[in-house]
Amino acid sequence: MGVIEAVDLRRTYRTSTGILRRRRLEVEAVRGITFHVDEGELFGLLGPNGAGKTTTIKMLITLLIPTSGSARVLGHDVVKDAREVRKRIGYVFGGERGLYERLSALDNLRYFAELYSVPPREQKRRIAELVELVGLAGREKERVEGFSRGMKQRLHIARGLLHDPPVIFLDEPTIGLDPVGARELRATIASLAEQGKTVLLTTHYMFEADTLCNRIAVIAKGRIVGEGTPSDLKSFVAEQTVVEVEVFGAGESELERVRRLPGVATVNVDERESAQLVSVSSRAGLELTRDILACFAEVRVGKVATREPTLEDAYVALVSGDSDT
Amino acid sequence: MRTLRLLAFGWALHVKMLSRSAFNGALGVIWPLFFATTAFFMFRSGGGRDTLVYASLGASVMGIWSATSVAASSALQRERWQGTLELLVGTPVHFAVVLLPITIAMSTIGVYSLAATLLWGRYLFGIHLHFVHPWLFALAVPTAILSIGMLGFLLSVTVVRYRTAWALGNAIEYPVWLVCGFLVPLALLPSWVRPIAWILAPTWGIRGIREAALGGHALADTAICLGIGVGYAAAGVLLAETILRSARERASLSLT
Amino acid sequence: MKSLRLFFVGGLMSYRALFNWLSPWIFVPTFLVAPLFQILLFAYIGRAAGLESDRFYVIGNGLQYVSLPCVFAMGNAITGERWQQTLGAILATPARRLPLFLGRALPVIGNGVLVTAFALAAGSVLLGVHVPASAIPALALVIVVSAFACTGLGLAMGAVGLRVREVAVLSNIVFGVLLVFCGVNVPLSSLPGWMSTTAEGLPLTHGIAAARQVADGAGLRSVAGLLAGEAVVGIAYGVAGYWLLRYMEWQSRRLATLQTA
Repeated sequence: MGVIEAVDLRRTYRTSTGILRRRRLEVEAVRGITFHVDEGELFGLLGPNGAGKTTTIKMLITLLIPTSGSARVLGHDVVKDAREVRKRIGYVFGGERGLYERLSALDNLRYFAELYSVPPREQKRRIAELVELVGLAGREKERVEGFSRGMKQRLHIARGLLHDPPVIFLDEPTIGLDPVGARELRATIASLAEQGKTVLLTTHYMFEADTLCNRIAVIAKGRIVGEGTPSDLKSFVAEQTVVEVEVFGAGESELERVRRLPGVATVNVDERESAQLVSVSSRAGLELTRDILACFAEVRVGKVATREPTLEDAYVALVSGDSDT
Repeated sequence: MRTLRLLAFGWALHVKMLSRSAFNGALGVIWPLFFATTAFFMFRSGGGRDTLVYASLGASVMGIWSATSVAASSALQRERWQGTLELLVGTPVHFAVVLLPITIAMSTIGVYSLAATLLWGRYLFGIHLHFVHPWLFALAVPTAILSIGMLGFLLSVTVVRYRTAWALGNAIEYPVWLVCGFLVPLALLPSWVRPIAWILAPTWGIRGIREAALGGHALADTAICLGIGVGYAAAGVLLAETILRSARERASLSLT
Repeated sequence: MKSLRLFFVGGLMSYRALFNWLSPWIFVPTFLVAPLFQILLFAYIGRAAGLESDRFYVIGNGLQYVSLPCVFAMGNAITGERWQQTLGAILATPARRLPLFLGRALPVIGNGVLVTAFALAAGSVLLGVHVPASAIPALALVIVVSAFACTGLGLAMGAVGLRVREVAVLSNIVFGVLLVFCGVNVPLSSLPGWMSTTAEGLPLTHGIAAARQVADGAGLRSVAGLLAGEAVVGIAYGVAGYWLLRYMEWQSRRLATLQTA
């Protein structure tokens, strides 16, 4: 039995616009997601913005009721036994909101320690430990409004761990952090897994999922389009080679020509400052470099390289695949 | 026991937070003073000594209601904007236990206004108060604050779906001042207004405070005030359950 | 002609843009219900103290409430620009400044007149106050002039608001000062000397006095002096606000302080 089990989770949002003539809109954010996370696993939900990651996580942490399907955390149903679930999970989201700015870090932590029924005798020790863990020792008596983004984010982590939950949900925890801050945070997350906690992490950074997670589910348009260990996912494209071409000012017509080349699986364009980096995946063994360059005969071409596929290529292949069918 | 501890802790923390806001602090004290000053001028030229004393006691409670009506009606919206609403709902405790101390903290901030108004009356208008039952007064004031905070709690969960609840909170500031007899004896109001006044805790709170200061059955009125307040809280608890369930269904807890 | 267009169209557009939150859900409680209860509150205090007639309070408070939309909205029409970070964009245009800012004032005045007209009408009906029909045109003029004067003050507040952070607090305090000083509920003669002297320099003081005389049956001619006084006060604040804005615009180009993110 998994620590987290989701079975055919679905969630539809109803919104209405206009005051007099109300138009109803239905948006299917999550369209039937099934997965499980085992004890001690660091599981990643990876997907582009709007794929349904946050909606999924919010159903699991009892803040949203699924439209259909069911989910259990440590055997407790997230709708019926919401309170039992809440006692056993920690929840941290990225960004600067969710803190009382006019209070000190210490007061924020004390308040949530009370809300999570941390016994008064343990509170002091626990808070001191966590402040140390997230590197805020010495600053905990300052008001949060003066904190940097990274400090606020680390305070969030400490808040999520106050009641020493066995299961932790992290929703894009490194969003908006500078590279150093993000790296420190990833180290903290890795140490949580080492302590035996079960962690579910959502992110849209590939390398983050690659370095941290034991298993990953790639989610796109409300569905899981691929699942497995990072190397499983890479093997999805292992039989492929990637040709990277740096071009200047290529138009849609050139790209379309590349896509039509026989043997080409996916074409991904990364817009750089003045150039575009075009990554073309194709079956291994096909020597396509010359054909690809021929397609770009009318534009200036920079560096050309051939490389092994990465998790990012697997991700692009999965997400851009026809996931509606 | 734990619940009690949580209520007390949440209250203390939110009082601390509200005291640090210039908007709640300075304006919360100054705003009721404009109305109190006007009323003092009016009662000084008409009425007489007794009505002036009567008015000053009522006026001192005006700020408690002002602090509560506006802030409580938008309390949940504010938590939502701060991004803390989801975190509060996601804790294992009953949401009412989280929200109730927040609205009571709002009414507690009105104490600054109460003190300021009494001092203002004392030093600028020469209104001297002799407290007949100082101990009852010391009991009646916190009871009124508690009950008004509980009314704020009921208000905050009632108007949660109203996006511009702060405007509603503003609009009910004067009516309660008028109907609950803050400045004008209830006997002067049309008779159909009186039943409305009776079910409003501030009516009894002010009566208790006045009688404690001037003599009368302060204890009975204070008890009624508390009883009605507890009733509001109970109604609020029931309503909060329903509202939270619907918020989880409608996805209205967060901004994103 | 171009200035005229900027005055009307530009003003109305910016008003709607900044006040798209001015929905019925805000308008009704803030601008219709609240003034009515302010009238009732003070009329009953007046009865309890055995003072003036109900009419005194209906007119005083009804007119005083013109200051809420005018001071707040005009202040907002200026500082709101800063919030949305459009002020810099607007100041960068070659549009002439005077019609630009005055155009902003017109819908504000209209709103204020509407609010006060409703408060006076509804307050009179509720309290059974009789105002002769013949007085209504003159009363309407008094309301317009008073709204204009308050908007002048609002322009000045808006200019101050570009530098002060808590504009909402400031606007509330202005509202309170007008309530106490301008003879709204306490006749100027009952106020201490320094207060009634201060009142002469505030909008509404002359307007409220004129409105009371008109409602008592006085003709326009006999209140012409008061009306002129009200208008002069409004113009003085408006001009001061305008120059303050121009000064701040100049300062901001020198010191880069206006477009604060």
